[in-house]
Amino acid sequence: METRQQGSTLFSAILVLIATLVVIQLWLVAASLDALLARQTAVLVPTAVAAGTLFVVNVCLLRWVVSFDRRLRDWGSRG
Amino acid sequence: MRWREDFPVRWDEDNYMTRRELAKFLTLGSGLLASVNGLIAFIGLRREIPATPAITIATAARVPPGTSLVFHYPTADDPCILVRDRSGRFEAFSQVCTHLSCAVVHRADQQTLACPCHNGSFSSLDGRPLAGPPTRRLPRILIEQRGADLVATGIEV
Repeated sequence: METRQQGSTLFSAILVLIATLVVIQLWLVAASLDALLARQTAVLVPTAVAAGTLFVVNVCLLRWVVSFDRRLRDWGSRG
Repeated sequence: MRWREDFPVRWDEDNYMTRRELAKFLTLGSGLLASVNGLIAFIGLRREIPATPAITIATAARVPPGTSLVFHYPTADDPCILVRDRSGRFEAFSQVCTHLSCAVVHRADQQTLACPCHNGSFSSLDGRPLAGPPTRRLPRILIEQRGADLVATGIEV
């Protein structure tokens, strides 16, 4: 990240990535509910693990994005 | 102007959500969805699988070739359909469509089990989906012929 503009673009890109992962999680909830009603219990644990993994990825992305957003703000206050 | 009537919010009264707030909100939603998924898995693993006792459903003579018979297995809340094809072979399936749970009906001339709700169709030979919205096969009921009786002995999902 060399300029403030690049940082802002990166922030937006990560925001879109987080939103995409949330949409995938929505799909996972729908799929696991469908499997539950069809009594296909073998699908339930993998979908729960996948949803948990996506949540962890989202938390990591959020932590990272918040840390460099702070840097962006500092940059703004200096500039 | 019309839009001013529809959206009577002044600029200075408007509330903005920052990108940082949106990211936090999305991550919170992500955690909520992960919890819901975990809850679904928990419920699914705890739910008791109904016992599948051997139950006599009919005599073979009661179902001539090319016809079908509705019965309930393993409980009175689980409708199933017994199909006898023209060669005399018996097959039985859950009568509940795997799309949106309507009851399927036997169409002997096409050798299918048809769902009238959304024009879904399954093979009456093995229960696999042939047409329409269903993507999963019908659960198969295991049938044994013991003398003159037809006995349901289990479910193959």
